[in-house]
Amino acid sequence: MSSSTALRELQRELETKANDLSKVQKDIAKNHQVRKKYTIQLGENELVLKELDLLKEDANVYKLIGPVLVKQDLAEANANVRKRIEYISAELKRLDATLQDMEEKQNSKKETILKLQQRMQSLQAGKAKA
Amino acid sequence: MEETGKKGTVTSLASMFPVEEALKGAKRVQETIYEKEKDLGHLQDFVAENSNLVNLVKKLPEELNHDIMVPFGKAAFFPGRLIHTNEFLVLLGEGYYVERTSKQTIEILKRRENSLESQVDSLEAMIKDLKAKASFFDTMASEAAEGLVEIREDYVEENSSGWESKPVPTKQNASIFPEAENERVVDDEEYARMISRLDELENEELAAEKEDESDKNEKDTAQLNEISYQKELDYDLRDSENFRSKKSLEQTSGESNATAAFPNKHNDQEDLTDDVNYIGLVVESSSRDEPSEQKKLENNMKILKSSDKSILPREVKENVQAASTSRSEVQLQSSKPAFDSHKAFTGSIVEHTENLQTSKENSTSSQVSSIQPSKPVSRFKMQRK
Repeated sequence: MSSSTALRELQRELETKANDLSKVQKDIAKNHQVRKKYTIQLGENELVLKELDLLKEDANVYKLIGPVLVKQDLAEANANVRKRIEYISAELKRLDATLQDMEEKQNSKKETILKLQQRMQSLQAGKAKA
Repeated sequence: MEETGKKGTVTSLASMFPVEEALKGAKRVQETIYEKEKDLGHLQDFVAENSNLVNLVKKLPEELNHDIMVPFGKAAFFPGRLIHTNEFLVLLGEGYYVERTSKQTIEILKRRENSLESQVDSLEAMIKDLKAKASFFDTMASEAAEGLVEIREDYVEENSSGWESKPVPTKQNASIFPEAENERVVDDEEYARMISRLDELENEELAAEKEDESDKNEKDTAQLNEISYQKELDYDLRDSENFRSKKSLEQTSGESNATAAFPNKHNDQEDLTDDVNYIGLVVESSSRDEPSEQKKLENNMKILKSSDKSILPREVKENVQAASTSRSEVQLQSSKPAFDSHKAFTGSIVEHTENLQTSKENSTSSQVSSIQPSKPVSRFKMQRK
């Protein structure tokens, strides 16, 4: 009798753990997507910076803001792009850290789930024998 | 010399790589190839678009103005005219635009093209890599399905026909046993040391021979040489015949050719000792001073040596290649003096060419096609000497 209740409890625990794991995995997938987006943006910004560096001082630079082109100073544009690159790099680093964190979490969760499954199996085996 | 009991192991490829696993791997690689090829297609589209744009930008400033139909909404156009044909507003990315002339625009576009090209190149390299991987998986799967076995055996010296039967699809060997790779490097060093030692001995031998040969009887030695060669050939023929019959026996029994190699080896050894005797005779019987004879003998020596060289490294190499276990390394060590003795009586090696050729023929013809012939590595290493 007691073994069956223990088994049920274990099953409930396993379910919650599995849910947690799937949540973490979803987060990891999301993280990957965001990271991909940021890497693309980083590449684009670096290209822009390269082109801006090649321009002469008197070149007219515009920035598209909503539907309108706003004239910008070249130096200003340059600084903006640099700042943007910095920001994206920082963001990428942060994402890397969180990703590592999440992977660790995922691994530990997997382990606990495995242990739970083993315990359930041994319980079931014991029950079958009894 | 060295002992041969049982040598080599036979492992079925399927036991190391289950067929389904290999197939699964192949499928996954194929999928990635498909994805990468899609990406490559996109990139190539970009490149084409870019070059079109370059052409257009080049053409536009050729005229002061162009009559065009200006799109108005989705379906409507109205006639218009392009003026300021040398002014371009180029999107650099991230919402930044810059005013450029046609020439400057083309420069920007060219830079973009370059970066695109490099991306295309890297993607192509990646796809090539993946394709190689896929074909590897495929061949592995099919080989495992065919029930191919991997035969690894240690090289046994004096078994001059053992080396063709070296089995094993090499590529797998290389990728599966990276530690063997390392060992090979170590062995290479050993090989170099051995060869240098052999050269040393050879030089000594040559010097000694010259002194000896300063007194020689022409006819006597010539005849003796003749006879010894004849004898050797006879031995060879018998040898290879022996070997042939044994080979077929062994093929049917499906055992490794260790058993066949062993007696054959003994024959060889006898051969060797016989030769030793003959040469000794030659040297002993020489009594007169004959410069022309000396020259002749030296020529002889040279020929022998050249054939010797072509064989010896191969044998040594085989030894080195087979040496992926520590046991065979020990063998390598122990076989060193054997090579020395070879060098000392270079005349004796001649029969190996003969032996090699005949036994090669018969072994390759009797070999089943599923076993690949000698490793490509050995050929390369052969040339190094």
